[in-house]
Amino acid sequence: MIGTIGTASLVIAFLASIVSMVAYFLASKKNQTNPNIEKIGHLFFGLKGAMVFFASGLLVYLIFTHQFNYFYVYNYTSTDLSSLYLWAAFYSGQEGSFLLWILCGFVVFLGIIKWTDDTYRAPVMFFLTLTQFFLLSMVIGVTIFGVHIGASPFRLTAAEFAHLPVFQSNPDFIPAEGSGLNDLLRSPWIIIHPPVIFVGFAMMAIPFAFALASLWKKKYHEWIYPAFPWTLGANLCLLIAIFLGGYWAYETLSFGGYWAWDPVENASLVPWILGMAGIHTMLVQKKSATSHKASLLFAILAYAAIVYQTFLTRSGVLGDASVHSFVDLGLYNQLLIFILAVSIIGLGMYLYRYKELPHQDKENPFLSREFLMFAGAMSLFLTALIISVGTSSPIIGRLFVANPTPPIPQFYNDWTLPFAIVIAILTVLTQFIWWKKFDSGEQFAGELITPTMTASAITVLAVILTGINNIFYMIYLFAAIFAVVGNSIVMYRLLKKKPKMIGGTVTHIGFAVLLIGFLGAAYDTPMLDQQTINYNAAVERGEVIDDQGFPVVQNIEVFILYKNQPKLINNEYYVTYKDAEITHAKRPGEQEYTILFENRRTGKQFQMNPLFYPMIANSSPGNMSWTVEPSVKTGLTHDLYLYVSGSSLVERENKRISDEATFQAVADILMDERAGTYDFNDVLRISPGNSQRIGQFDITFNRFINMDESELPDNAIVGVKAEIELHDIQKQVRETVTPTFALIYEDGDNIVYSPETSFEHQEFTVVFENIETASDQVKLRFIGLEEHIEDEWVLISLEKKPLVSTVWLGTFLLMFGFSIAIVRRWSDQKRRYRQQKSQ
Amino acid sequence: MKLRVVIGVVFIVGFTSLLMWNFGNSIGSFTGFSEAEYTGQRHHVVGKWIEDKPHGFDHHRMVFSFYMEDEEGEVRQVQFNKPKPNNFEDAESLVVIGQMRNGIFYSDDMLVKCPSKYNDASNLETASI
Repeated sequence: MIGTIGTASLVIAFLASIVSMVAYFLASKKNQTNPNIEKIGHLFFGLKGAMVFFASGLLVYLIFTHQFNYFYVYNYTSTDLSSLYLWAAFYSGQEGSFLLWILCGFVVFLGIIKWTDDTYRAPVMFFLTLTQFFLLSMVIGVTIFGVHIGASPFRLTAAEFAHLPVFQSNPDFIPAEGSGLNDLLRSPWIIIHPPVIFVGFAMMAIPFAFALASLWKKKYHEWIYPAFPWTLGANLCLLIAIFLGGYWAYETLSFGGYWAWDPVENASLVPWILGMAGIHTMLVQKKSATSHKASLLFAILAYAAIVYQTFLTRSGVLGDASVHSFVDLGLYNQLLIFILAVSIIGLGMYLYRYKELPHQDKENPFLSREFLMFAGAMSLFLTALIISVGTSSPIIGRLFVANPTPPIPQFYNDWTLPFAIVIAILTVLTQFIWWKKFDSGEQFAGELITPTMTASAITVLAVILTGINNIFYMIYLFAAIFAVVGNSIVMYRLLKKKPKMIGGTVTHIGFAVLLIGFLGAAYDTPMLDQQTINYNAAVERGEVIDDQGFPVVQNIEVFILYKNQPKLINNEYYVTYKDAEITHAKRPGEQEYTILFENRRTGKQFQMNPLFYPMIANSSPGNMSWTVEPSVKTGLTHDLYLYVSGSSLVERENKRISDEATFQAVADILMDERAGTYDFNDVLRISPGNSQRIGQFDITFNRFINMDESELPDNAIVGVKAEIELHDIQKQVRETVTPTFALIYEDGDNIVYSPETSFEHQEFTVVFENIETASDQVKLRFIGLEEHIEDEWVLISLEKKPLVSTVWLGTFLLMFGFSIAIVRRWSDQKRRYRQQKSQ
Repeated sequence: MKLRVVIGVVFIVGFTSLLMWNFGNSIGSFTGFSEAEYTGQRHHVVGKWIEDKPHGFDHHRMVFSFYMEDEEGEVRQVQFNKPKPNNFEDAESLVVIGQMRNGIFYSDDMLVKCPSKYNDASNLETASI
């Protein structure tokens, strides 16, 4: 019932969006906007928004009341979720995130209705409602003329899983429990990260709409004034979203770093870069009434990039290319139409008007702010292009190979590095020229002596101190430092005269600081014990030979710690595994480890506490997935990044839950009082070729060995030996024993003959008790083994990551700079608006 | 004007060709074990973990080994030089990146493709009717 109402309200919203779109179109058809028709547009735009809000409210209600007969509720939630995550579940799936996107758009576009003057309002709203029309079509989920449009968030579970026996026998079956929110998403970051992205996506439609409106109405200049603060706002939102995503990935998701050139990350980076290019050309346009063409183009491209990346990430095209899982909801065609429509309408109108667009008669001299700014914007554009090419590998790559993989990260790094250098240097040149007129090149060059000399000195010092030996990195570092110094000089001067105008310089400094921080990622190094370091060096030299006589090519990147046995790591820290505790802190079965670090020279101690937890909601019966939350020790020059890759405790817990089929049962066991203990009882059952681990012992049952007549005990009917290999990981000894199992016929009875077999290096024995004929498993009893289990070990991945704090600092400076600029531009625009009104 | 246009065109052509050339070299191809074996070069192989074959982490060599069946149905042992990745059991498919040598695939990078939460019927398949 609620679902029907929900679907109905989305359909009404969809129809209302069409009406408002048509109304805005008709209203702006003539030179003078028709206010009456425009009002109809507003009315239906409001209706559309209200209906989407209503439908979203219904979905949230369904989620909070756990109505698992709805597929969306079943698929993304479960009864154990706290209200925070229930709320986030609203946009955890594609359908919900489209709704969120539409809602953000609706709210932001209300601002356009309120604050845009008559010239542009109606046509701008036309293009904005056009984008909303496409987005709404993704979620209505109705069939029109045999074509199914969109995927409704109100689909029923029974319809979705109609093929399952449980629904075939009982179509009214309602699951008692949902399949739960992905464990990786159960983090407070999910509350804030997606909404910020979608506010950014929604805002980026505004410069797009303004650009198209200006092309339509042939008013090519004034649009940038109202569009400018929104573009800044969109870029600020994308920046914050990118930062939150990077920080989330780094701090809690153990992706290993804050950036991986993953398509989903690129999806918000490319529009951000294009938005940046647009912001700069708009500034030129404001200042000198040139570069209209570029401003229009970048405004169109920035939004087209958002839609294109949405297409890539949501259509299933990226399949194997990303660590993120992409769901193909069957929206491929609709998404394709969306991106084609945006590109064709955008670029089509641009090309159609191209000849008419204002152009300059004389070219700008090389050292003019117009030219330098334009060069900077072009560099940004090319950077965005490169990243788009890389992200499009599943499509463009087919030119080269049949099943293209994503490019190696080096592709992105190599190609963006030179542009980063150019852009960094241009920021300084442009800033100097922007605020001061120079009579000659010499005078300009004279101004640049101070920042150049200072930056050179700092770079040389940094190179000496850090031992950077890559020439490109040196140039890059110089460019970044030059940008910090140069922009700081300009900022210092501005602070004295026009402090409100420092937004630009602050963002440039932030950008340059960010560039310096990025360099750190090139020097991420695993931290290891001396033995492993030596081993890796030997591998590097090709001196390590494997069992089959081939040189080993793989390095070891983790080290093992035994409880309370310190290891010297990187010749720098004594690292000790102190403790592991099952805390259940945030989820059932969560484990917290205590790893103690002691600086070898200073004796200073600190502790790191990585987590390890079972992802119950993500796992299938019998195969528990575990994941980690790293522990990060943030430092001024570098971070220590540590996570657990496995431990004796995890293996024990895994064994306890291995046979359970439902996740409630798993959770119950994980929470019970035997948590963390051995579940062993001296007996092991192993199939041939398999091994099991008990404490520090790896026990492998290699094969059966048939016994000769001569070996058999007297009166034996049949006998067999089992080749058992025991590997003591702690002592690093391996030995093989062959206990006997035989049946003896005595006094009319079959008696099992299975003597205790002792180990050379161990103080316990093994008895080959039985063969389970059905499974070929052997039943082995280890007598006295349990007392010898003393191993508590943990595998540690530890990395030194330089300059991560610098990256965060740069990001904050960028955000700060953007905010200053938005405040200033917003008040500028308001003043303009008032002046126009009073005229 | 002329000169600028010429420089511009040369730059665009040069830039695009260099970019595409380098891009072509930076991507690989998803292949099967047999091709990886044949060429001996670095490859991305897509496949599925075979649960009932032996698998485990060797604490001495710090290698996680398991058997994988590629999309052509070939089964090979994979030796991964890191501990078992997160989500490994949960993966609907794996992409192992590395080299084939002597019938064993030596991987130093692995993408674990998690099943989308979409169509997650794991609870329902076992639901009592």
